[in-house]
Amino acid sequence: MLKVPGWEMSIVWYFFLGGIAGGAYFTAAIADNFGSRRDQAVARVGYLLSVPLVAVCGLLLIIDLGVPSRFMNMMLHLKFWDPMSIGAWAVGIFGGFTFVSSVLSFTSSESAAAFRRKFSLVGMLFGFFLAAYTGVLLSNSAMPFWADSRLMGALFLASGGSTGMAAVALIMFITGGSISETWHKIEVADRFSMLVEILVLAVFLAVLGSAAQPITSGHFAPLFWGGLVAAGLILPLLLNLFGGRVRALGAVSAVLVLVGGFILRYVIVMSIQG
Amino acid sequence: MARTLAMFTDTSLCIGCRACQVACKQWNELGLETPEWTGTYQNHAHFTDKTYRLVRFMEAPGAKPNGDLAWLLMSDVCKHCAQAGCLEACPTGAIYRTEYGTVNINQDVCNGCRYCVASCPFGVVAFNEQTGTAKKCTFCNDRIHNGLGPACAKACPTDSIQFGFRDELVAKAAKRVETLKGMGFKDAQLYGADSNGFLGGLNAFFLLLAKPASYNLPDNPQRPQRNVVVDSLLSIGSAILVGVGALLAFRERGKGEA
Repeated sequence: MLKVPGWEMSIVWYFFLGGIAGGAYFTAAIADNFGSRRDQAVARVGYLLSVPLVAVCGLLLIIDLGVPSRFMNMMLHLKFWDPMSIGAWAVGIFGGFTFVSSVLSFTSSESAAAFRRKFSLVGMLFGFFLAAYTGVLLSNSAMPFWADSRLMGALFLASGGSTGMAAVALIMFITGGSISETWHKIEVADRFSMLVEILVLAVFLAVLGSAAQPITSGHFAPLFWGGLVAAGLILPLLLNLFGGRVRALGAVSAVLVLVGGFILRYVIVMSIQG
Repeated sequence: MARTLAMFTDTSLCIGCRACQVACKQWNELGLETPEWTGTYQNHAHFTDKTYRLVRFMEAPGAKPNGDLAWLLMSDVCKHCAQAGCLEACPTGAIYRTEYGTVNINQDVCNGCRYCVASCPFGVVAFNEQTGTAKKCTFCNDRIHNGLGPACAKACPTDSIQFGFRDELVAKAAKRVETLKGMGFKDAQLYGADSNGFLGGLNAFFLLLAKPASYNLPDNPQRPQRNVVVDSLLSIGSAILVGVGALLAFRERGKGEA
């Protein structure tokens, strides 16, 4: 009887990349404000990564519209209780924050850097918002399973954190930035995020009970249990914990977290629309 | 705001002629569609972007007072909810409430995000691939602004669909339920007539001869947006956990050096 909205791969990608952008940015802002001078490498990677990702997010959202040329209509209207409305605004505003923080991450002026830190603390709120609101958007619809999930936003936020941190760690590994103490810090931060994500996912499933069947049994179950729970959360957490000083294992852990983050969005968005 | 208008669909009077469905198609210039096999006389299975009025045909063994098989017939339509999920979900303001209390989609403003499709508790709103916009019953917005009733109500030969002021129709409907109960239709009931009931009442409400589930209607449809605050607070809780984790990982114990 109910109708599905037909949000498919472009929205899955948007949810995934938006989570990384938000997670990378808020991690960068935290490292920038509370870390050491050396941690500014993490901050810079996080800020710089979030810029193209938000741009891609905006494009994905626009091309998914029925009438893409009317995307500005969302900017002529604001409903503060409507996730779709404030989400569209937040993507635009967050984009501005990522750009300014990135430009200022190259400054050698101490006063400009001080400004960047304060500025990024405000931007961080939009980063958290971008990572979480897509889940709240799904859970405030008429769709079964989505609407039954009180923790969808919380889960997407934790996943945004873990994938954002994994993306930053992976970039540092590839660009040779993994030899520093900073690499260890981002791994520890990612470990926290994964633990939160596992905890939230467990409560999410427990609260849903049989309403979670679209992902826990049937066609999408192997992907959910194997791809997300086992290979995308538990295995990377074990690698992160026991990988020791083998940096390549840390990088493998980051790749698995990213794949798991994509699978999370994929199974949740697609399972009830198949 | 003008006095609220409504449509009252009395399913006990429906003969399944589909004059309403055809009148709706004609007046609103809704295009041709490929028919679907539904296993009954019903076509289509659900509302579409080109079917705003839909006569549902349901076989109900033993539903007649004498125990015979009854055909439950129902001319279904957008409910024009007083608390409309589609309207609240719409980020462009394309979905609006008219001065008569009906809910309409401004086709020149809708940009096809489809959140309204996911937010309708009745599966009414449909996406049109050609126009790229969301479509549903307009309550014949053009007609009611020119002193005419909706095309479906005008075309109905048995007065199964009645159009008028909501308060008057609700009173009429309540009497009709009593009459039907007296005739032995013990499950006769109104659906959406109570403005203190679910969704603040429906401006297109129904008289049913069996429980709502027999017509594939939800017993207690809910406002989709009712959990925004709770879900947001739980997200903030998650943000605090992840944020504190990152803070602990990055913070410098002996401040200043490095």
